[in-house]
Amino acid sequence: MVAAGLYLKRFYTVVRGEVLVLPSRVIVALFFLVLLGMPLISQDPYLIRIIVLTSIFAILAASWDLLSGFTGQMNFGHALFFGVGAYASAMLNVHLQIPPWVCVPLAAVAAVLTGLLVGIPCLRLKHTYLALTTMAFPIILMGIVFALPDITGGELGISGLQRISNSMIGNYYIYVVTMLVLCTIMWKITDSHTGIIFHAIREDELAVKASGINTTRYKLMAFCLSGFFAGIAGGLYAHYMRIAGPSTLEVSMSFTVVIWAVFGGIATIYGPIAAVFILFPLLEFVRFWPEYRMLIFAVVVLLILLYMPEGLIPWVRDKIEKECPRCKIRNVATRKTCRICTAVLD
Amino acid sequence: MAVPFLEVEALTKSFGGLRAVDNIQFRMENKEILGLIGPNGAGKTTLLRLITGILKPDSGSVRFQGKQLVGLKTWDIVNMGVACTFQNMRPFRRLPIIANVMVSCLSPRSMRRGEWVKVVESKAMDALEFAGISDMALEKASTLSQGDLKRLEVARAIATEPDLLLLDEPFGGLSPAETDLMAKSIRRLHKGGRFGRLHSEGPAMIIVEHKLQQLMKIVDRIIVLNFGTLLAEGKPDDVVNNPAVIEAYLGQGGGQ
Ligand SMILES: Nc1ncnc2c1ncn2[C@@H]1O[C@H](COP(=O)(O)OP(=O)(O)OP(=O)(O)O)[C@@H](O)[C@H]1O
Ligand SMILES: [Mg+2]
Repeated sequence: MVAAGLYLKRFYTVVRGEVLVLPSRVIVALFFLVLLGMPLISQDPYLIRIIVLTSIFAILAASWDLLSGFTGQMNFGHALFFGVGAYASAMLNVHLQIPPWVCVPLAAVAAVLTGLLVGIPCLRLKHTYLALTTMAFPIILMGIVFALPDITGGELGISGLQRISNSMIGNYYIYVVTMLVLCTIMWKITDSHTGIIFHAIREDELAVKASGINTTRYKLMAFCLSGFFAGIAGGLYAHYMRIAGPSTLEVSMSFTVVIWAVFGGIATIYGPIAAVFILFPLLEFVRFWPEYRMLIFAVVVLLILLYMPEGLIPWVRDKIEKECPRCKIRNVATRKTCRICTAVLD
Repeated sequence: MAVPFLEVEALTKSFGGLRAVDNIQFRMENKEILGLIGPNGAGKTTLLRLITGILKPDSGSVRFQGKQLVGLKTWDIVNMGVACTFQNMRPFRRLPIIANVMVSCLSPRSMRRGEWVKVVESKAMDALEFAGISDMALEKASTLSQGDLKRLEVARAIATEPDLLLLDEPFGGLSPAETDLMAKSIRRLHKGGRFGRLHSEGPAMIIVEHKLQQLMKIVDRIIVLNFGTLLAEGKPDDVVNNPAVIEAYLGQGGGQ
C-alpha cells in the first residue's frame, strides 16, 4: 500500500513537472488518453471505424514527413509505398495463407526494398525533376498491377483478406496502439542525431558532404525508413478493408498525403498526424453533401496555407507557447519569465 | 624518399571554354601554411574545390599523404583529413548553430576520434568555443552576422579534426578587429593542442585571401594564381615584390 502510494506520488510529480508545464504536452497526453479510453465511452462501430482509418493515414502522413519534410526529398508518389504494403500483405495472406500479423511486417520489408529501388535513381534528382519522377513510380506499378491480373486481381484488386483481430475492439486497440508507437518512433528518429543530419541535408546538401557525412547513405536511409512506415500503413489498411486495390496507388492518394502534411506543418511529424486527425474525420462528416466535399476540403486547406504558411500546428503552437529568448526553452504564452532560466519573456 | 604531404600535379578544370584552373602544379609539406592569392576569378576557389572533390578535374592528380584524391567522394576526402570552408558561407540556416557543428562531429572521422561516451554535443560546443561563438550556440544560423557566419564555417571545418584545412577567404567581410581575432584563432589552431574535447594536431593550411597584409603574417609560403595558371611561388616578401604579381593585381584594379 505504502509503496503504491509512493509510486503514485512520484508519478504525479513527474506529470506536474514535465507534462502540465506546457500546453502542447498536455494536448499530446490528452490525445493518448482519449484514444486509449475511447472504447470505454463509446463503441459505436462507425466512430471506431473512422478512428482506425484515421490512425492508418496518420502513420502514412508522418512517414511522408520523415522523408520529404525532413530531408527535403519531395516525394509526390508516396502512394507507392502504401500500395506496395497493401498488395504485399494481400498476396501473402490470400495466396499463401500467411497470418496477418506476419504479413504486415513482411509488407514493410517489401516497402523498404521499394524504397531502395526508387531511392537510388532519385539520389541525383532535385526539385521538380524529383517530384515528377517520384510521381511516376506508383503509376508504373499500377501498370504492372493491371498487366498481371492473375496475381494482383487487376482492376478489382485482391479481396478476402483476414482481419488482424476478429473483435472490433481488439482491432481498434491494435491499430491505435500501433499508430501511437510508430509515430513516437518516427518523432524520436527526427529528434536524434540522424534527424539533425536529415534536417541539414534539406538545408544544404553540399555543406553536409563537406562536413564528412555520406549523404547518399542518409538519403537512402530516409527513403527506406519512410517506406518502412508507409508499408506498415498499407498492410494495416489492406487487412482492415479486407481488400487491396488499385485505389491505394492512385495519384490522388499521393497528393492527399502531401496536402495533409502541408496543412499540419511539415518537418514536425506531429503536424501531419494532427492534420489527418482533423481533416479525415471532417471529410467523413461532410459526406452527406458529397458534391461539396472536395470543395470544402480545398477551401480549408487554401485558407490555412494563406494565413499560416508554416502549417496549422506550428501556428497554434506559437500562439499558446513562446520560446525563451535566452535558453530557447518553450513556455506557456501566459508566463512573464522563463520557467528554467527566469529570463524575461517578451 | 618520403611521400609528400600534398602533391598537386597538372590539375586542369575548364568551364565551357574557360580554363578556370590550368595545369597547376605544387607541393606542400605537413604543418605548412600556404597562402593562395590572385585577382578575382583567378581560379582559387575552383582549385580548392578540386582538392576536396566538390568539382571533378578534367585531368591531373591530387595526392594527399600518398593517396589519390581525384575520383573520391567529398565525404571520403573529408574523412581522410581534408576540411574546407566555403567562401560564400553555407550554413544550415534553419538549424541552431550548435546543430550546424554537430553535423561535422557526426562524421566518421570525428566520431572515431571522440573519447568515451556521447561526445557529439560537447565537442560541437568546444568547436564553437574555439571559434568564439559559443554564447550563440542555440540561436538559429539565419540570425548570425557576416563575421559570425565566417566563424561558424571555421568551427564546422575544425570539428572534423583535419590534417589539412582549406580556408576560402576567412577574413572576407570581417571588420579589422574581427580579422585580428580570426588571425589569432588560426595561429592558435596551427600551434595545436586540446580545446576541450576538440583536438588539434596543428593542421597544414591553404588560405585563400585578398587581405594580403594580414595573410603575410600567418603564412610560410605564397602561391599566386592568375587566369588559372601559376604565376609565382615563394616566400611572402619575395612574392609581393615580384613585378609580375604587382602587374597582375594592378591590371585588375589593385589589391591591398
Ligand atoms: N560552376 C562554375 N561554372 C562556370 N564557371 C565557373 C564556375 N565556377 C567558377 N567559374 C568561373 O571560373 C573562374 C574562376 O572562378 P573562382 O571562383 O575559382 O575564382 P576565385 O579566384 O575564387 O575568385 P574570387 O577571388 O572572386 O573568389 C571565374 O571566371 C568564374 O566565373
Ligand atoms: Mg573564390
